Amino acid sequence: MNAPHPPSWADKLLSLFCAPHLLESVLGDLHEEFDYQVGKVGERRARLQYWREALGFLKWRYIKRQKSCYPFTFLLSHDMIRNYFTIARRTLAYNKVYSFINVIGLSIGLAAAMLILLYTKDEVSFDQFHANNPNIYRITNKYISPAGKQVGVMGNTGYVAGPKFAAGVPEIQAFVRYHGHRNDIKKGNEIKSEEIFRVDSTFFSVFSFPLLSGDPKTALREPRSVVMSEEMAEKHFGSKNVLGKTVLMKDSFDKDARFEPYTVTGVARKSPQNSSIKFDILIPMVIGPGEIQRATNWFNTFMNTFVLVTPGADMARVERKMNLVYNADAKEAIKEVAEKYGMKDKKQYTLQPFTDMHLSAELPSDNGLVGHSDPKLTYILTGIAIFILLIACINFVNLTVARSLKRAKEIGIRKVVGSGRGQLIIQFLGESFLLCMAAFIFALVLVELTLPTFNQLSNKALDLSYLFDAKLVAGYMALFLATGLLAGFYPAIVLSGYNPVKTLYNRMQLSGKNYLQTSLVVLQFSIASFLIIGTLTINSQFNYLINKDLGYDDEHLIMVEKSNLTREQVHLLKQELEKDPNIIAVAPKNGGRWNTMGKVNGDTEIQFTYETVDPDYLPAIRVPVVKGRNFSPAFPADSTRSVLVNEAFVKQAGWKDPIGQIVDFWYDNAKYSVVGVVKDYHFADLSEKIGPQLFTMKPGNAYGRFFVKIKPGTETTSLRHIAETYTRLFPLNPYSYKFMDDENMKRYESEAKWRQIMLFGTVLTIFISCIGLFGLATLAAERRNKEVGIRKVMGASVASIARLLTSDFLKLVCISFIFAFPLAYYTIDKWLQNYPYRISISAFTFLQAALLAVLIAFLTVSFQSVRTALMNPAKSLRSE
Amino acid sequence: MNRAYLGEFEEIVLLTAAALAGSAYGVALMHEITERTGRPARLNQIHSALQRLEEKGMVKSDMSEPTAERGGRRKRLYTVTAYGERTLAQIREVRENLWSRLAKPFTIALEI
Repeated sequence: MNAPHPPSWADKLLSLFCAPHLLESVLGDLHEEFDYQVGKVGERRARLQYWREALGFLKWRYIKRQKSCYPFTFLLSHDMIRNYFTIARRTLAYNKVYSFINVIGLSIGLAAAMLILLYTKDEVSFDQFHANNPNIYRITNKYISPAGKQVGVMGNTGYVAGPKFAAGVPEIQAFVRYHGHRNDIKKGNEIKSEEIFRVDSTFFSVFSFPLLSGDPKTALREPRSVVMSEEMAEKHFGSKNVLGKTVLMKDSFDKDARFEPYTVTGVARKSPQNSSIKFDILIPMVIGPGEIQRATNWFNTFMNTFVLVTPGADMARVERKMNLVYNADAKEAIKEVAEKYGMKDKKQYTLQPFTDMHLSAELPSDNGLVGHSDPKLTYILTGIAIFILLIACINFVNLTVARSLKRAKEIGIRKVVGSGRGQLIIQFLGESFLLCMAAFIFALVLVELTLPTFNQLSNKALDLSYLFDAKLVAGYMALFLATGLLAGFYPAIVLSGYNPVKTLYNRMQLSGKNYLQTSLVVLQFSIASFLIIGTLTINSQFNYLINKDLGYDDEHLIMVEKSNLTREQVHLLKQELEKDPNIIAVAPKNGGRWNTMGKVNGDTEIQFTYETVDPDYLPAIRVPVVKGRNFSPAFPADSTRSVLVNEAFVKQAGWKDPIGQIVDFWYDNAKYSVVGVVKDYHFADLSEKIGPQLFTMKPGNAYGRFFVKIKPGTETTSLRHIAETYTRLFPLNPYSYKFMDDENMKRYESEAKWRQIMLFGTVLTIFISCIGLFGLATLAAERRNKEVGIRKVMGASVASIARLLTSDFLKLVCISFIFAFPLAYYTIDKWLQNYPYRISISAFTFLQAALLAVLIAFLTVSFQSVRTALMNPAKSLRSE
Repeated sequence: MNRAYLGEFEEIVLLTAAALAGSAYGVALMHEITERTGRPARLNQIHSALQRLEEKGMVKSDMSEPTAERGGRRKRLYTVTAYGERTLAQIREVRENLWSRLAKPFTIALEI
């Protein structure tokens, strides 16, 4: 039979709080009293009383610890601090490789996180520098279908919206229209086409772009004035002091334009790097009153209009008023457009905060506004940064802790010779903070070194000085403290608490099953193999995109822009160019990309890409006509009666026999019959499915460029011939050429960027994971030194020992695949959905990734394993 | 006054400890006080009074040999110091002095 016991929880509570020197007598008294009471009033009431009594001891008087009767040791005595530094230096120097990888690993992680922080900070700071924020908005609109659903949004407007809204809505104080254009600039005999922006005179009062010289209020008032950036002034005049000088300019696209003198009325400072508006030349927007009066101009969308709204205005009300103005002013035009183009969707005007444009996926900054970036990219980058930082920090903590276990003896000795716990805590925390600080300083150096490359990759102009911002510095301080504390915590708090006898006599049993370490390795390699799979997939998708047969031959095909290229000019150009036998074909085409619609099968509307070409175009780009015939000079009526369509068009129209079918351009009262079907080719980039395409030779459509097919290997001579001919025939047009195959490569720049970023992230993650693994392997090998020695004495071979030491880690890497593979499959499947033409996910990719991860881990670990296995057992067994 | 201040409860604890002569410890004191004075005392009160007395230097404590009844724990045994004894004597003297000045002590009235 058991004697009744007092409540053990009360005892536990007391031993936790009560001062150690009082605890024994207090507990003793309580127990004695309990035994007495059990006999007197019974166990149940005795227990109750026990609790009451025990709780009575929870007073400061009993909690207060006894003052030590030993003399107080200085926590920060000068000699001891010197000793700490000496010991720290010696422990670091004792194992240089370990110290190096430990610090470098953390530095790299930190540097990556800093870079990405810089990047995100820059992204978020975009356009924030304008003094009028948050009252600057962009006029945008959305389309509402008759069913009341939103079917589309549009960030651009025409000439009309700005002035009409500013006149009709009292809250709108000012408007600025911003229209990107090209002007030819004459300097001596040289003509260059430069990008210019046509803006309203309010530009400098709405936006905060400082002028180096000139008056911001009047700079853009006169129609023939121009504001230049300092760079442009430097380039054109060779000086920044150019106020009042004149430039000869003309519209690049207007065939009747002549060079006219523009007076420089202002020189602006270089546009900030984080600005959506970046200009070199600004000229006032001059628009005839007719344009504003024409109500159908409400439906133009080719530029951006910004408005300045009264601070504190109710935006919903402003938007409502705007739509009232629009619906009243454009009443007739809305009806007209609905009839003519069959537009059923209702248009509604909205306002978008100026600072939202840069990262908006729906309403991006475009049409003259630059630098738009995908918010997804920012998220992914931040994710990678956090991964890297996490792995690096845990690595650091893990390695430092694992390492400090070896110093248990040092702690024991220190305690024996009289070190207080406070001193040990200071020593070990200080040491880990010191290491951490070294890593931070090194990280800053790394950031400074890699910043130029990173800027190139991310298409930015970041600067280290961005980092010196109160919040960021606070963030880094917090990170520094957390990492240093975590790394120093174990040896400082836990090991210093052990009884010195235990640490000195017993071998510390801290190896065993270390779940923290194993799960960390699994986590690291899960992330690493996930990223490897991602990189491999992006890589093969990228290769697929750039190597996919586009359906036409883009090699040795040169494209030359020439606005308003007339039929006569084409004739002349062909004659002149074909004098050179190296030029195989010359074919004109419309500039840009035109989309329009027509009716087929009577009343079915069909949208298509509208190409204006001549009979030489399809042979020049080697696209065959699969049915019917190409345009031909033998059929003079082709230009007014016939069109060619592609296979996708035929499919969408549902024609069995396409030849002779009618395409009705009802709004122009023109009907064309199909004379041939062109084989589908990728006229747009591969992120688009091949859509319906229609070719015409309609005389009213202007050409905007021409293609020249040349013989392989004759690039230099042919290009010279083309340039000479061009400048002779069109002395007033700027000449520039592009190779089509290069252009097609450039279309996948965003994929290329993704590929680079993923590669960057993967390499870093793998590297840091390997550092961690290497460190752990080193420590494991050291720990099992004696075991290996005994095994060798018993006759184990080097290979078997290396296998033994390596397999532990490889197992973990294999476990990581269980987590990484499903996640990777899901993610890349999602990502590939974005591409209509894509690779299929193959098991081979996963196999490759697995092999790569295992190989990397194997190489990392086996170095240490083999070294340990090769060691002379006499050496490891003798030492103790 | 040139002696240390002693609370009423402290005085009782000190006197009882003197009475128990060397075998005074928490539980014993509690039982003794409860029995003799009829007032219920709690252990934590006894302990805090003893602590205060020890701080004032009127008792000193030593740990006893471990005893089985307390789960092998030792007792903290208190003995009254010379200073403690002197303080008690002084208190008594003051009281008796005051009593002697009473013209008609109450005991007479009570005897009737």
